[in-house]
Amino acid sequence: MAIAKAERLMNLALCLLGTRRPLSKRELRGSIEAYLEAGTDDSFNRMFERDKDDLRELGLVIETVENLDGEAGYLARRDSNRLPAITLDAEEAAALGLAAKVWQQARLAGAASGALQKLRAAGMPEAEDPYEGHQSALEPRIPVHETAFEPLMLACRDRRPVVFDYRKANAARPETRHVEPWTLECWRGHWYLAGWDRERGAERVFRLSRITGKVRSRAGSFTAEVPDVVTVRETVESWAGETATRTALIKLRQGSGYPLRARATAVRDLGDGWDELAIPYGHGLDAWLVELGPEVVVLEPADLRADVVDRLRAVAKD
Amino acid sequence: MATNAIDQTRRMLSLVTYLRERPGAHVTDVARAFGITEDELISDLDVLPMCGTSFRGGDLLDIDTDGDRIWWHNPDDVAEPLRLAADEATALLVAARAVSTLPGLREGDRQALLRATAKLEAAAGEAAGASSRFSVTFESEGGVFADVDRAISERRRLWLRYYSPARDKLTEREVDPIRLFAVGHTYMEAWCRLSEARRTFRLDRVAEIRLLDEPSVPPEIELRDLSEGLVQPAADDPEVVVEVGPGGRWVAEYYPHDSAEELPDGGLRITLRTPEPASLRRLALRLGGDGHIVSPPELAVSAREAAREALAAYESAGQV
Repeated sequence: MAIAKAERLMNLALCLLGTRRPLSKRELRGSIEAYLEAGTDDSFNRMFERDKDDLRELGLVIETVENLDGEAGYLARRDSNRLPAITLDAEEAAALGLAAKVWQQARLAGAASGALQKLRAAGMPEAEDPYEGHQSALEPRIPVHETAFEPLMLACRDRRPVVFDYRKANAARPETRHVEPWTLECWRGHWYLAGWDRERGAERVFRLSRITGKVRSRAGSFTAEVPDVVTVRETVESWAGETATRTALIKLRQGSGYPLRARATAVRDLGDGWDELAIPYGHGLDAWLVELGPEVVVLEPADLRADVVDRLRAVAKD
Repeated sequence: MATNAIDQTRRMLSLVTYLRERPGAHVTDVARAFGITEDELISDLDVLPMCGTSFRGGDLLDIDTDGDRIWWHNPDDVAEPLRLAADEATALLVAARAVSTLPGLREGDRQALLRATAKLEAAAGEAAGASSRFSVTFESEGGVFADVDRAISERRRLWLRYYSPARDKLTEREVDPIRLFAVGHTYMEAWCRLSEARRTFRLDRVAEIRLLDEPSVPPEIELRDLSEGLVQPAADDPEVVVEVGPGGRWVAEYYPHDSAEELPDGGLRITLRTPEPASLRRLALRLGGDGHIVSPPELAVSAREAAREALAAYESAGQV
């Protein structure tokens, strides 16, 4: 039976952590059973390179040192791999325990519990019962449904340019975009990427669910400077019509349209079962008003009224 | 939890450090400390004796268990606590920062979380650097949240004035709260005494809330598995078919659906199920020229009539 990968990785980690001098590939191959069984030199070499990358993903700092004969040797020094002293009390441990549960994405959920396990091994106390005993009734969850998330997370982390096909909200066909990814932000349950769009020569925000197909990495480094502060949320809010620029006056049937009432700056009872409301007017308000059908009448401005009437006509003639 | 080799290796490295400090540790305790099942722990303990610094030198880890306690007979100093990887620091720090911004979090918990976050940043060092590139904001209505949270911990019934977008109406009802959760928006799951059923309430649609003196006595029900998504239509819910043009593709992003077929013009034919098809009249109106309801026909008719009635108000005012 082939030796399980976890056993092989564990052995490599222990060998590299346990040695005081760099070990050559030859020595490692002689010490680790799975490598002896690897067959050809080629397949061993490939396996070894992959394993080294995997251990580095796990946080191991592995140094490559050439010996006098020009042969590469490897070691993971104790002092560069040791967790600095950290003392957490039971309350702090419980709080981190709650935080570690919020990810609904395999890689980050695994990484978060891995972090807790390392802290636990370093002496972090256990909460009585991390869930039941915890007084707060809140269960926050970070949803990650977008397949583009993981490759973009790695690209943001490693500052690697990417290419993907992106379909704008109202476009029939996707377009290829070349992007230097800066940050990922989750707002209202959706993930957004901010970065430098190379072809447009400008900062852009992308909604991950509109990325079609694969996210591919590109060689090379960033060409544009990464700003200190990236404002994803303001951009998304303006898409969502939450950045009001003007005021609209509408008639609303009483008892209807609560969300409009909640944001109204003035309400006047017209006495005939209708109210007159002043509401902030930003992009997207027409679509929202038209949803209410005959419960709402736009009084001004005229362009908003015309937009709503156009939309109603399209539905009326179906 | 499905065990992949990476997660298992990560866990085993921490496990040896943990076991070194606790000779004769109990399987149940260790499994709980590591957040894994006893079976997962036993499978780790099966692998560890095959690991060491040289399988031929005989310096393998001599770790064994009788199924109850765990013994390591030749502990060595390989087992030091390991530094955090960039992904580990990122996953925990981003989550901790997000949770600490929840307006409804108890102040004591928030302070503990902020202290833990600061210590973690210091201990993670460089590995914490990339975590600033990711952020998560939970939406939450502070005042309503605090009342629901208090009702849950004091087991009290709540009175709500709640906005239902499907019916465009505010309704008053009494509910027995079960739990609060945040997925983008913040929600309360509760037993609704009006409909005698489990209901999910989005907190930003609560117009008014009051704590009642009656005790909350929700029936024993199994909590919904939220990983399946918030809206989980039943198999026997009526089907609605909507065709949208390119400008209406967003419908597929916002509405859970059974299928979305590509149309030649760049649009989609979306099939979804909902307990109340009439609630989709809003969608039909919103779509305007960007799409229409294919079925059920009565829904298409009701949207058309609503649009005509609305237009009549503009016409009678001489505004079109």
